[in-house]
Amino acid sequence: MEKTILIGGRAGQGTAVTSHFIGKVFCALGYYVFNYRDYPSLIRGGHNFNVLRISDKPVYSHRDRYDIIMAFDQKTVNLHQKSLKKQGFILGGTDLKAKRLHSIAIETILKELKAPQIIENDILIGWFFKYFGVDKKFLLKEAGEVFKGKKIGLIKKAIQIGYDLSEKKERLKNRGKKKYFISGSQGIGVGALNSGIDIYIAYPMTPATPVLHFLAGKQLKDNILVLQLENEISVINSALGASFAGAKTMVGTSGGGFALMTEAMSLAGISELPLVVYLAQRTGPATGVPTYTAQSDLKFAVNAGHGEFPRIVVAPGDSQEAILRTQEAFYLSSKYRTLSIIISDKHGAESDYSFNELKASPLTNQKFILKNPPKNYKSYKITKNGVSPRALPGQGPVVRATSYEHNEYGNTIEDAKWTIKMNDKRFKKVRYLEKEISKLNPVSIYGKGKNLIIGWGSTKGAILDSLPELKDFRFLQVSYISPFPKKVIENEIKKSKRVILVENNATGLLGDIIAEQIGYIIKDKILKYDARPFIPDNIISKIKRKK
Amino acid sequence: MSIKDFNTKEEITWCPGCPNFGILQAVKNALSDLVKEKRIKAKDIAIASGIGCHAKIFDYLNVNGFYGLHGRVLPLCFGMKIANPELTVIGFGGDGDTYAEGVSHFIHNCRYNTDMTMLVHNNKAFALTTGQATPTSEKGFVGRSTPLGVKEKPLNPIALAIVNGATFVARGYALDINHLKGIIKEAIKHKGFSFIDILQPCLVFNNFSPYLKKHICRLRNHNVSDFKQAFSKSMEWDYSFEKKAKIPIGIFYKIKRPTFEDQWPQLKKPWYRVKRKINFKKTIKAFK
Repeated sequence: MEKTILIGGRAGQGTAVTSHFIGKVFCALGYYVFNYRDYPSLIRGGHNFNVLRISDKPVYSHRDRYDIIMAFDQKTVNLHQKSLKKQGFILGGTDLKAKRLHSIAIETILKELKAPQIIENDILIGWFFKYFGVDKKFLLKEAGEVFKGKKIGLIKKAIQIGYDLSEKKERLKNRGKKKYFISGSQGIGVGALNSGIDIYIAYPMTPATPVLHFLAGKQLKDNILVLQLENEISVINSALGASFAGAKTMVGTSGGGFALMTEAMSLAGISELPLVVYLAQRTGPATGVPTYTAQSDLKFAVNAGHGEFPRIVVAPGDSQEAILRTQEAFYLSSKYRTLSIIISDKHGAESDYSFNELKASPLTNQKFILKNPPKNYKSYKITKNGVSPRALPGQGPVVRATSYEHNEYGNTIEDAKWTIKMNDKRFKKVRYLEKEISKLNPVSIYGKGKNLIIGWGSTKGAILDSLPELKDFRFLQVSYISPFPKKVIENEIKKSKRVILVENNATGLLGDIIAEQIGYIIKDKILKYDARPFIPDNIISKIKRKK
Repeated sequence: MSIKDFNTKEEITWCPGCPNFGILQAVKNALSDLVKEKRIKAKDIAIASGIGCHAKIFDYLNVNGFYGLHGRVLPLCFGMKIANPELTVIGFGGDGDTYAEGVSHFIHNCRYNTDMTMLVHNNKAFALTTGQATPTSEKGFVGRSTPLGVKEKPLNPIALAIVNGATFVARGYALDINHLKGIIKEAIKHKGFSFIDILQPCLVFNNFSPYLKKHICRLRNHNVSDFKQAFSKSMEWDYSFEKKAKIPIGIFYKIKRPTFEDQWPQLKKPWYRVKRKINFKKTIKAFK
């Protein structure tokens, strides 16, 4: 069983909620679901759509040929009916002009129910699930769990009316094990909570905002502090102040906000305070295509901030990885007193993925703070691995952090000897970080074959779903970008016949990093920079054509 | 803790006779008094500084501190306070630091009313970068970047703070150490965002101390809790060197308003003392 369903309408009509609910019901029935969101930068009107891919086998990406189009307006029909499969149909109101249309007298029903327009979703949902032969009671129970609040009675009534108007055409089996259905943003949030985050600070910016919303909704129950401040510069400097005073702190933003934060990332570098930065990329440069996806900030993340200092850059490939990598980012940042950057993008952040199980990382979430710091405490003590034991203001001894080059006490110096000493101290950590990440699956290899596809981040889904249709290809997913797992990548490249780079950007940024780090130049590149994510067909057709 | 205990062994690199010495002394005296009076604990003092001559004070005070970036003193202070509400947080900024690079933080921190103190060393010039104009330089100020003179009137930080919701607003003079010490003490004791603009002439690039000597006066018969009076007093001197101007120093405005941290139930104690029980299974339940 495999279905691809497009749900489209104007912004404000509830396409995202409908799509998420339908996905959730399929997950409850034990199916695998991938949900892609496509929306322009406006509040009401325009054209939003979601693509749900549902299967009895794992799915990690969407497709562009649809079995069903659920249309909330004529524009959805006009834009997408050409992509309807031969056996497919369109579902919507009687006002739509379309071929192969199953229409419902939505307006009449709404009038009878005295219901607001938004309830049309529920009529269509009812119709849809009867078509698939899903049990009414089961559906209403799921609706009761997802939609809470005053309107639930009305919602259930509308679902029943839609249900009764439809006919059972298919008999969907209940496949048993319920799946988890979770977005990349939620994965980041869960990872942060599981790391023992104390404070999350952000300034709203698509597509990083869902993490802000998720954690803000959790703050009282989970006893964390979630703040929106006056700008990204304040966000990151406040976060560093908070880290200095002992809070486990994270900030989140997208490219533009990240750009504003870079000076303070340099401050994080020299002050050696733990900080996790979540960067959800969107299409640039500048405002670019703000609600769409790209992987164009990789080298920016690796190089952000003036001066030289070590950092962690990690790129999760889906929601499960978002949980694990966020925990790792916190762990490494706390243990090694370094900046950690988690780099994701619109596609990875706002798509919903399904899983049989969700795993947490076994890494400790301790803060690595001295219980009883000595009287003569040195904030920047030079140690074997470059990490100075950490104390906090308020514990007793004088504790310092500084943007200036400094001696072990954190007092300002300008002489050559200490400048070198402190640089060396900071870079000593790199070797230990490399060792540490070698145990954290810095790369993953999927499939078998002489030929190699290399990618990172959210392209994982489309590449994984391409593999079964490609002969003799395996996929190397690079998760740690800094420190860069050179050896393992070099070995994989060496033993491959063809090496193809797949990236959602115009120039192949991971390719540049591989060239810089390993000296190998990948000429075979599949690059996509139309602000849209890959679907498997984009990769399959290009690889087959390139032969 | 005696005044001496606040000293460090660092060599002081301000110019000889710099009024910054006055500020340093006033701060040490105020802190020492407050510790002796058991109003604060020395171990809980945490300072932050920006970048510029003022910021050298970081090296000369033997307390916890964070030597930050130019313009970003207030976010650092804010961050320290929300991470550990028990800290006595004091920020040091310059006029370029606070009113140019960091003016947005200044305005918003007046609004937030976090319980902390901000001291601005205002010499109406960028000094460490060798004498350029700042937002509080007077109209006509000639520096190397403004050989034709500054064309705008200066910004009035006292009025700006009062209008934006600061709950303690004062002006001090770096060379009136005792008076300055008094208002610093009051500022630290005040629960909320306390701001002191400290006039600190630069002997090399903007020496307006002879002018101050003639025009400075103490605020008297002034109701500090009256917004209108405070605002009208704040407008008495517009930071220009006019012949007839009077420059009042002292506390302009002091009112009670709930602090930032009072309004967040999560901000009860330092986060490093919060014991967490993390329940992954419970967290992910919502996704099934």
